[in-house]
Amino acid sequence: MKYLKAFIMALFAALLIYAASDLPYRGDPGNRMHDQRSMVDSPVAGNYYIQEAYHDAHTPNIVTVVLGDYRSIDTFGEQVVIYTAGIITLLVLRRSRRRFS
Amino acid sequence: MLDFLFGHYAYWFTIILLCIGLYGMLFKKNLIKKTIGLAILQAAIILFFVSVASKVDATVPVYDSSIPVEQVANYMNPLPHTLMLTAIVVGVATLGVAFTLLIAIYNRYQTLDEQELIKKIHD
Repeated sequence: MKYLKAFIMALFAALLIYAASDLPYRGDPGNRMHDQRSMVDSPVAGNYYIQEAYHDAHTPNIVTVVLGDYRSIDTFGEQVVIYTAGIITLLVLRRSRRRFS
Repeated sequence: MLDFLFGHYAYWFTIILLCIGLYGMLFKKNLIKKTIGLAILQAAIILFFVSVASKVDATVPVYDSSIPVEQVANYMNPLPHTLMLTAIVVGVATLGVAFTLLIAIYNRYQTLDEQELIKKIHD
């Protein structure tokens, strides 16, 4: 039974590796995701960020600019997620300790 | 052939890591070990996205006045890094809530084994 489980996972890994053989080479600058224009001739987001981030926000770190300026609403939602997780942790722990101690 | 190997071995390592995490989540009986498998699976996906973002002969996405910003090939793609930062935060929140629920389960049933838990719930 244990060997059957390992065999199933090995089969799944082989399937994924076979599927990954169609992926572009890692680190090749000519990949589609590093292009200037996409297939439908719209600008690609990563290139815009690289070229205009310092001009827009005057912060050298591009990842910080994307996280804090372009996607600041998304980051705010992330803070809500952390806050909710903290509240849930507090409530569950307090409730279980009060009832069973 | 060698080009193919060097272009793809990072994907293979992340796939193997993903399968290890999935094995833990599916087949382990202890709930703590299942949660550890979840953490390994998250790490594998984050590593996959970060490895996709790399370019050969490029620097980290931090603006440097000596490197021209018009040549996009000089800098790595900053978008996967940003999204994986978000994914790491959400993963930590998930793990915290999961461990909290495990503590509550253990306080109530005094066990974390799946079969024993089902038996105790039906009693």
